[in-house]
This record gives sequence, structure tokens and C-alpha cells, in this order.
Amino acid sequence: MSIRRETPGGQPALEGALAERGLVCRVESRAGLAVLIADEATVAALGDAELRRAALALAREHGFSHVAIELRSEAVTGSRTDASVSRP
Amino acid sequence: MDEISVTPHEVATSSAAKEASLAAWLCARGRVAIGYSGGVDSAYLAVVARRVLGAENALAIIGRSASYPAEQWATARQVAESFGIEVLELDTDELNDPRYAANPSNRCFFCKTELWSKLVPLAHERGFTTVVDGTNADDLGDYRPGAQAAREHAVASPLADLGFTKAEIRERSRALGIPTWSQPSSPCLSSRLPYGTSVTPQRLGQVEQAERALRALGITDDLRVRYHDDLARVELSRAALAVWLEPANLAELRNAVQSAGFARVALDLRGFRSGSLNVLHGVSAA
Repeated sequence: MSIRRETPGGQPALEGALAERGLVCRVESRAGLAVLIADEATVAALGDAELRRAALALAREHGFSHVAIELRSEAVTGSRTDASVSRP
Repeated sequence: MDEISVTPHEVATSSAAKEASLAAWLCARGRVAIGYSGGVDSAYLAVVARRVLGAENALAIIGRSASYPAEQWATARQVAESFGIEVLELDTDELNDPRYAANPSNRCFFCKTELWSKLVPLAHERGFTTVVDGTNADDLGDYRPGAQAAREHAVASPLADLGFTKAEIRERSRALGIPTWSQPSSPCLSSRLPYGTSVTPQRLGQVEQAERALRALGITDDLRVRYHDDLARVELSRAALAVWLEPANLAELRNAVQSAGFARVALDLRGFRSGSLNVLHGVSAA
């Protein structure tokens, strides 16, 4: 049994919604899992439980059941993050 | 096979009273073989059976395969040795069953079918006519296709039937001095792979190695490394999550997981949740 709650367009819409909360990141969609790719400052900011809850709620609204923040080996600058965001 | 159901009057309320009921239940069976993993539930059941029935009438049987973590096996042996529990080990071969290896949502049914189809006859050959598992009352609300295999092989679940919750099993384990009382839950390694991702020894080994590396960092709470091909999604307790999101700790965590061969590492923002991949695949509610 496999039921997808992910909605079409969820990925870019989630990126926009997260950005409005100050979480500038790229979202990689993996079948219900949203992988957030961000710079170290954004990763560190997610140490705040309230911000994590907000991110989770936004992800749910956009059809994702799971959200994870990638721990990258090199820093991703804000500009690089912005450049890598794919928009329709 | 003895009758395995429990009448309502047998269902006690306090954990100590439930343990008395369990002792009576075991005594009525005489000789009992336990499907034994060394997890919280089966360790408790094996210790109580050993105390009530004596060493010659309680046999713990371990099914070993690539999906069974080596650390879990070590714990199982340690508990058995400490409490004088007789142990038998048998090899199971579920990974060679294509129905299991394909990793459908009812994968556990094929695993448990393999286990019980070998374990139950072995127990019977040795004069143990009652075979039990460590299923508890909380498990009954979860999606557990393996329970069907237990029923088909007449395996009894006295902890569930007598209403033991996980918390009560931990409480009684602590009272009896069983070291597993505070041990995190430890389902098989295949539970870290999303349904539909084939189960292979290499993938199971990768997950096991990553979790061992995280334990080596001092993480003692519940944790899971979920396999998503090149990416490992790490689930930590909420307390641990806050600690490991600290900038100073990120690299250590990432390196530990990458040492197991994952190219990418991500921390789940919700943290540990049992059956997480069931949610991802719509088998359980979010």
C-alpha cells in the first residue's frame, strides 16, 4: 500500500513559504520527504524547537510527511542557495 | 498446542499483578520456548519464564540473520548468561525469500513466517510444546503483519494477552534487574529501508554501521538511520536533536554517518518516531 499526500507544486511552494519564515533553502522532494538544503546558519537556526515546528507545519501543508535538513560538508552561501532554487 | 487466549478475569491492572498472572500462565504450560531477540519485551519474558519454570523448562531461541543487529545479539546473550537462561540459536534466511527482499509493506509477515517455520518445529522436537513471543499490548495498535505469521504457527503472546504495556514491561524489568529495562526499542534493520527498496545485506550493514557510529558518539536515546539510497535520514530524540543541530556538532554527526558509506546525511526535523517509514508510505497516519 502506498498513498502519496505530496501535492503537485509542493516543492517550490514550500521553498517560498519557508523563505517567508526566514528559512532560505532549497527543497529536494523525495516521495513525501522534503530534504532542505541550506547554509550552516539556517541549519543552526533549526535548533530552535519553535522554528522546527513551523517548518514541519509548513511542510505538512504542502504535502510532505517528513522533513529533514541536510548536513552538508561545505557551507552553502545564501546566494548559492538562491541560485540553486528551481522555480517553475 | 495449549489454549493461548486469556479470559477477562485474568487481565490484571497493576504491573506486579500482571506479572503474577504471567507466572501462573507460564506454570500452566509447563515448558515454554521463547522467540528471543534480547529486546525489552522478549528479555523480560525469558527472565520471568526462567524464574518461574526453571532452566530446563524455559528455552530462549534466537533467530539470526543479516537483519538482526549484532549489538542486539550481544545483549541477548548477555542477559541470558546473567539470568541463567538456556539459549539456542538458529539461522534464518528471509533475505533469500524474494517476497521479503522486495520489501513490500507486509515484509514482516515473510520474515516471521521464516522464523516461526523453523523455530516452532525445533522447539517441539525438544519437548517445548508452547512457543511464545514478546508482543505486548501496545503493539496491538500498530501495523504489524508479522503477527499474522505468529498466529498461523500458534505462537502465543502472553504479554499482549495479559495487557502488559511497554511501560509496564520496562517497570517490571527494572524491578527484576534486567538491564534492558531502559534499552531503546530495537526493531530489525530492515525497518530502516522504505517499502519497495529491496533489502540486501549490504544496505542492512550500511544502516547498522551508521547507527553504531552514532552510538559511539554517545547518543543513548532512541535513534534510527533511515535509508534513502545515497542519503541517510537520521532520526534522533528531540533532546538529542537540539544538541546535534549545534554548529559545533554537525560535522561530527555527518562524518559518523558518512563513514558507513552514505554520500549525504540529513537530520529529520521531527526526530525519532517509531514506524516512521509506515507514515511515509501511507501505511500509518502521520
